[in-house]
Amino acid sequence: MKKRDAIYLALAMACASAMSGPVFAADGIPPDAAYNPDGKNKTLWPQPVANSGKLKWNEHARDLSGWATLSYEDHRSIPKPQEVKLEGPLNGDAARGKAIAMNTAKGNCWACHAFPGDPQPGTGGGSLIGLKKEAYSDAKLYQQVWDPRVFKRKVAMPPAGAFGTLTDQEIRDVVAFLQTL
Amino acid sequence: MYSIEKNLKAGVLLSLCLGLPSLALAEQPYRESVPVPNGLYTPAAASSDAKLTNTWQYWKDPAKLNTEFVGNAKNEWKLNWKFKDAPYNSDLHGGHLAQDRGEELYKGLNKSGEFANCLGAKNGNLKGLRLTYPHFDKAQGKVVALEGEIERCAAKRGMELEYGSYDNSAISVYVGAFSTGMPINLDVTKEPMKTAFERGEQTFHLKSGRFNMACATCHVMLVGENLRGQISTTHFGDVGHWPTYRSKDELQGLHVRFTECNRNSGTQPLKPGSQPYVDLEVFLTALTNGYPVSLPSTRD
Repeated sequence: MKKRDAIYLALAMACASAMSGPVFAADGIPPDAAYNPDGKNKTLWPQPVANSGKLKWNEHARDLSGWATLSYEDHRSIPKPQEVKLEGPLNGDAARGKAIAMNTAKGNCWACHAFPGDPQPGTGGGSLIGLKKEAYSDAKLYQQVWDPRVFKRKVAMPPAGAFGTLTDQEIRDVVAFLQTL
Repeated sequence: MYSIEKNLKAGVLLSLCLGLPSLALAEQPYRESVPVPNGLYTPAAASSDAKLTNTWQYWKDPAKLNTEFVGNAKNEWKLNWKFKDAPYNSDLHGGHLAQDRGEELYKGLNKSGEFANCLGAKNGNLKGLRLTYPHFDKAQGKVVALEGEIERCAAKRGMELEYGSYDNSAISVYVGAFSTGMPINLDVTKEPMKTAFERGEQTFHLKSGRFNMACATCHVMLVGENLRGQISTTHFGDVGHWPTYRSKDELQGLHVRFTECNRNSGTQPLKPGSQPYVDLEVFLTALTNGYPVSLPSTRD
């Protein structure tokens, strides 16, 4: 092979590998994360112990490492705004939806939204009491819960579907519950 | 032979056309941020809260708090927790015990005066030392916070004081208390502190975690709103009471508090002492400019 051709080939290969993205640790979790890859829930949190110069490191209730962190060495992207179509009939269960929306460990919707019967109504988001009168379609509510950024780019509300914090069925259940308010 | 050469050249040109833009894209992962309200952080001072919550008017003078707000569900947040500080709160609490512990540890480490020197105290004088942090340390080539220096300087004397540990925070309370009543005044208008401040501001506004929330989501967008039984307070004028004794019986340093905020909002926390947390501390310290240190302190 001529020297010139070898140089062209090397250039082409270098560009091709650059196109495949940056090279990091296999899972992209930054080195300054409080994280134990061998743990059950992996995510750790530090607890001070009285009169000790050492922290007690505890396991968090769930693994948070799959989503981008504040580390300068975290080069992972977050999911972009996702437009979704509600496929088929809703098939949502309102009772299950309530148990998701009004549960801190699941949807935690009540953290920001007021629901009927909640003694500590959230005001971070619009009240959902009397939501019926807005007459939103299932499809619209489904999109809002899946990814509200589609309607309002800089919204504070978490995209439960796009970020995988609720499953498709769970979102259908929440929509069914919302349609009863 | 001729066609292979031509194909190779075409291939290279094509790769260059596709590769260079991808290189640029590859270096910029897709992230989102909470917008900074126009001019909010200029100047970097506690008084700039007037442009956000304007609760500044209620807590700017520690000697003049509106005590009618205390215990009132709608208004208490407007005092920015200052009713927990002396003179309104004269209770003995875990922060005082930590101060005693800090004194004991400090004196043990400082028998030859080396520990004080390492922390930057002139002639062992701790008055005002808290106000010199965070700062850029030339020898280490990075911005350092007080508890990081406590960890480093103790290690030089053979003692492990892990960043965020009780004993590390206890010394921080002891040292910091010598500056109680003195206003924070961190200059972030010149490099390298200017860049550290800007990185802290960006980090504060960067959305992360499973809920795609930034510190600014709760403390800028939703500040003053009910979030599941809690009302988030302004991030201005807050840094001078850290480490604080929490009512859950925990002496909590600022970086440990960051890990708690991160977990509450579904974000993987970083280790205390990580650079983003140090830069956040620079940011929040400058946003306390003009407001005094208050240690020991207690919070809910």
